[in-house]
Amino acid sequence: MNPKFTLLLAWYYGIRTISRGPSYIIAALSTPLALLFLVYVLSDGALVKYALVGGFIAIVASVALQSSGDAAFFRLQLRIQDLYVASSVSPSDYMIGLTLSYLMFSLPGIILYGILGAIYHLFSLFSILMLILVLALLVLSTSSISFIISSSIKHIRNIWGIAGILSVLMTILPPTYYPYESIQRGFLYLLSITPVTPAAVVAQYSFGLSPAMPAELYILIVETVLFFTMARYLTRWREK
Amino acid sequence: MIEVNNLVKKYSDGVVALRGISFNANERLTSIIGRNGAGKTTLLRILSTQLMPTSGSVTINGIDIIRKPDDIRNKIVSIPQEASPIGVLTAFEQVKLYLVGRRFSYMEATREANRSLNEIGLGDFKNTPTDTLSGGMKRKVFVAMALASNAEIVFLDEPTTGLDPLSRMEVWSAIRQIDSHVILTTHYMEEAMELSDEVFLVDTGNIIEQGTVESLLSKFEGMFRAETTEPCSDCIRVSNTYIRYIKKNKVQEYLEKGFTIKNVTLDDLFISRGVSLES
Repeated sequence: MNPKFTLLLAWYYGIRTISRGPSYIIAALSTPLALLFLVYVLSDGALVKYALVGGFIAIVASVALQSSGDAAFFRLQLRIQDLYVASSVSPSDYMIGLTLSYLMFSLPGIILYGILGAIYHLFSLFSILMLILVLALLVLSTSSISFIISSSIKHIRNIWGIAGILSVLMTILPPTYYPYESIQRGFLYLLSITPVTPAAVVAQYSFGLSPAMPAELYILIVETVLFFTMARYLTRWREK
Repeated sequence: MIEVNNLVKKYSDGVVALRGISFNANERLTSIIGRNGAGKTTLLRILSTQLMPTSGSVTINGIDIIRKPDDIRNKIVSIPQEASPIGVLTAFEQVKLYLVGRRFSYMEATREANRSLNEIGLGDFKNTPTDTLSGGMKRKVFVAMALASNAEIVFLDEPTTGLDPLSRMEVWSAIRQIDSHVILTTHYMEEAMELSDEVFLVDTGNIIEQGTVESLLSKFEGMFRAETTEPCSDCIRVSNTYIRYIKKNKVQEYLEKGFTIKNVTLDDLFISRGVSLES
């Protein structure tokens, strides 16, 4: 492991990029804020707390999933990944560094949602700790999915469409903006194939919005380990 | 330094890129030249541990890099073909990040990144996001990484492809500043002639000639290339051009026949073998 490299990559490709191109933040925030507005209007404010909790999840997940475009761009277009393959940087260093960068992209959104959450008196010590845990697992699992996808792409022209579709399917379809009890249990388990679903279920319970469903926490943990391990071994590093 | 034995690379789609290449490379700057698709990049990617061969062996400074790639990776730098810096980051940031990836401390990386960028003539632009730099300057950012890394061997895959003549000369000048052993691929013969101590000519996955530029050209000593667009018997055809090699005393005769006379270059090693330089 080379934590100095991962931190510097996160600092440069996260913070410096945001400071030089603030439009990235607006792009990351636009969909969750638009959906928050939509949920507020359609439910007369009744579901706004769900949308706020879901907003945390959606921002982190959508930024991480869209990052598959960056990872593929670095590998296929800029050839930056090849530069690091032929060095002492390990695939894990590279993956974790980029993952932390994307977390930086999510931070402004998390802060904004934090302010909105405080206005709506959402937070307790338990909910904050659980939210940190859920978001940490989520960024790791969704970034891993991004790496797996970006590695399997042969032509850069395909990645942007796939990333966009995945981002919608994995952040809007799961119960991020609505109570998870609203859908049938079988369908909920089907949706749990994406880590966004268990993350949203655990978050809704942690904020006292929905009843507990401990199985979903285990699913989130197992999926995070599984996707991270798969990414570690499926990410093209030394090609065959 | 580099020993390659019977190296074969067959891709999953059936394309055979290398057909049992063997060579030793010991000179300070070795060029691997050949037309597009000849196998140069495949060879360089295997040598720099980015790609697994189908069979064969490679040792660099005594290390078996096929079986133990991690043992060599901190001693080499490989700049991929058409590599481009991350546009939003500055030249300094990218060189420093690369050096920290090579386990330099933050302070060492800062010092060496500044030193190499100054040495290479990018000092005034080191804090500019690289998406505003010219093509030549972008390539020089990568040469600065190689320069600062203190690596034993630097692999450069077509370092000047797509650059204008002036930018190419700037990059050549930067490459000359690298103290390490350099292995570069190119399809520009003048680049190989300008920079190389030793040249390997690669075609269709085989090495067809090797030696110094002088030794390779010695077979053409006292000869010129005569070119015409009119078909002629016993001429070598390259696209719409017909080529013949003539001695100095025949130059006037061929000029009168309408031929154009040119000096012999490394191109002619391929042409004389009937290998078109077009892919």
